[in-house]
Amino acid sequence: MRTFMILLMITIVFAPLGAGGSKEAPVAAAQGGSLAWIEGPSVHGLPGVNPLKVSGNIITAGSSTVFPLSERMAERFKEEGYGGTITIDSIGSGAGFERFTVAGETDIANASRAIKAKEIENAAKIGRIPIEFRVGTDALAVTVSKENTFLKSVSKEQLAKIFSTAKLWSDVDPTWPSQPIHRFIPGTDSGTFDYFSEEVFSSNPEPLLAAANLQLSEDDNILVQGIKGSPYAIGFFGYAYYAENAGALNILAIDGVDATSANVDNGSYPLARPLFIYSDAKIMREKPQVAAFIDFYLSYVNEEVVGVGYFPANEEILQKGRQGWLEAMKDLY
Amino acid sequence: MRNIPLHPFGKRPRIHERIIESILFLFALLSIVITLGIAIILIRESYLFFSDPEVGFWGFLTGKEWQPMIGRFGILPLLNATLITSVIAMSLGIPIGLFVAIYLSEYASDKTRGILKPVLEVLAGIPTIVYGYFALTFMTPLLRSIFGDGTVEIYNTASAGLVIGILVLPMIATMAEDAIGAVPKELRLAAYALGATKLETTIRVVIPAALSGLSATFLLALSRAIGETMIVALAAGAGPKLSFNPFRAAETITGYIVRISSGDVSYNSVDYNSIFALGLVLFVITFTLNMVSRKISNLFHQEYD
Repeated sequence: MRTFMILLMITIVFAPLGAGGSKEAPVAAAQGGSLAWIEGPSVHGLPGVNPLKVSGNIITAGSSTVFPLSERMAERFKEEGYGGTITIDSIGSGAGFERFTVAGETDIANASRAIKAKEIENAAKIGRIPIEFRVGTDALAVTVSKENTFLKSVSKEQLAKIFSTAKLWSDVDPTWPSQPIHRFIPGTDSGTFDYFSEEVFSSNPEPLLAAANLQLSEDDNILVQGIKGSPYAIGFFGYAYYAENAGALNILAIDGVDATSANVDNGSYPLARPLFIYSDAKIMREKPQVAAFIDFYLSYVNEEVVGVGYFPANEEILQKGRQGWLEAMKDLY
Repeated sequence: MRNIPLHPFGKRPRIHERIIESILFLFALLSIVITLGIAIILIRESYLFFSDPEVGFWGFLTGKEWQPMIGRFGILPLLNATLITSVIAMSLGIPIGLFVAIYLSEYASDKTRGILKPVLEVLAGIPTIVYGYFALTFMTPLLRSIFGDGTVEIYNTASAGLVIGILVLPMIATMAEDAIGAVPKELRLAAYALGATKLETTIRVVIPAALSGLSATFLLALSRAIGETMIVALAAGAGPKLSFNPFRAAETITGYIVRISSGDVSYNSVDYNSIFALGLVLFVITFTLNMVSRKISNLFHQEYD
C-alpha cells in the first residue's frame, strides 16, 4: 500500500518534468516558401523589405564590437514595424561562432574577425554552411585617459612592449613617467583580443596574457571605466566604444596614423579590421524572418554604421554579401 | 491489513495523510538530490580539468599565476583575492552586525526595534547587482577621495570587500540577535542579582553564553562572503593578480567564473573546464565552513534548565 502511494506520488510529481524535458518546440515551419514581406522597390539589388509583414523571432550572438551595430539595425527594424523579438547576445566572436556552429542555437553570428577553418568544419557537422556578410569596418581604438599627457602616438613595436613585458611606462620610452602600466583589454574570447594578438604579437597571445596589471573583460564598458580611472592606464576596443566615450578618452595614433575615416578607407590605419555577420542558407530559407533581417541589414547598414561609430565597408565587398544573400535564397526569390 | 500500525488514538491512518507525508518527503528528497547532482557535476567536470596533462593538482594549489589559456594554473591569485575581500567584509560586518544585534536584543525599546528591524530587512533585500554598482560608483570614489587616486585603483578589493560587509551585515545582525535572544532570562537575572550592571551582564554573561550561536553566524556569513559574486565581478577587478594590497585590482574565484561564463567560452576548452574546478574549490570551502558552523553550534550548545 505504502509503496504504491509513494510510486504514485513520484509519478505525479515527476510526470510534468518528464514531459517538459522532452520538449523540442517544433520550429515554425517555413511559410510555403512565400516571402510575404517582400515589398517595394529593391535596394542595391536586394528585394525591398516590409518589416510589418515579418514575424517570428531571430536569435543572434557574438562579437561585442559588432553588437552596437546589430543592435542599431535591430532597433530600426523594429521601428519600421517588425513585431518579433531579436536577441543579440554580446559574448565575443569566438563564443558567437561556438553557438552558431557547435550548438546551432543561433540564426546569426556576429563577428569582428573572419570565421576560422575549424569553425567551418564544426558547422558542417551540424549541417550548416556559414555565409559571410561584411557589414562594416572597425578601427581598433587604442585609448588612454584624457588625463594622460605623455601619449599621443605609438608605434606597433611600442604597443607590443606596452602590452607585454614593460612594467613601467619608462621601460618603453625613457621620457615617459616611471609609473606602472595598467592594462585593460577585451577577454580571450573576443575577436578583438584575437585580432590584437594577431596584429601585434603575431598570433601568440602568451606575452599579452602574461603581462602584469592586466584586466580582461568581455564587457567593453568595464574597460572604459578602468581606462578613465587612471592617467597610467591603457586599453583597446572597437572604435564605437571610443566614440561613445570620446569626452573621457584619448585615442592614440598608430605609427603616426590617426584613426580617421579616410585612413581607414585607404587602409593606412594599421589596426582597421572588418566586421561581419554570418548566417546559413538553410536557416534563411526555413526562417524567412532571418532572411528578411539580413536583407534589411545589408540594405541600410551604410546609413547607420557611422552613427554607431564605425566605418562603412567598401561598396564592392558589401555587394559581395548581397550576392551571397541572393544565392542563398535562389528559387525562393 | 493487520500489519498496518495503529494510530496512537486507535484509528487507522487516513490515506490523505499518507499522500501529504509522501509529498513532503519527496520535496525533502529533491533538495538532497539537487545538492548531490551539483556535487557530481562539479566533480566530473573538474576531473576533466585535472586530467589535462598540463594541469597538475599540486601546481593548481600552489601556483602563483592564473591564466589558463597560456597554461598557468595556479589558484593562489584568485584564492588570495577571495580571502582579502572576505576578510575585509568580515572585519566590517562582524563588529557592526554584533553591535546591532546586542542593541536590538538587550537595549532597544520595542518601538525602536520596530523601526530598525524592517530597515535591516530592506538592506537584506537589495539585489547584489545594486550593491555592485554601489561599490563601483560610490565606495571606490569615496576611497579614492580619502586615500588618493594614485593609491586606490579604480577596481579594487577594498571597495568590494567593504560593500560585501554591508551585504552580510543584516544577516549577521538577525542571526546574532536570535542567538543572543536564545540566552535564558534567568542568566541575566542572576547576573543582576549579583550586582552586575547591564553592560557587564551583556559582555560577561550573555555574549559568552551565546558564543556557539554567534560563531556559527560568523562562519555562515563568511561562507556567504566567499561565495558573493556580483559585487566582486563589478568592483574588484577582472584580472587575476597575487597582491596583498587591498587598493589594487584583483580577481576573486567567483569573479573569474562569472567573467569566463559571461564570455561563454568554447566548451571543452581548458578555460571552460577550469571554472568547474574553481567551483568545486568554492563548494568545498563553503561546505566545510557550513559543517564546522554546525559542529560548533552543537558542540558548545549548552542546555540551561
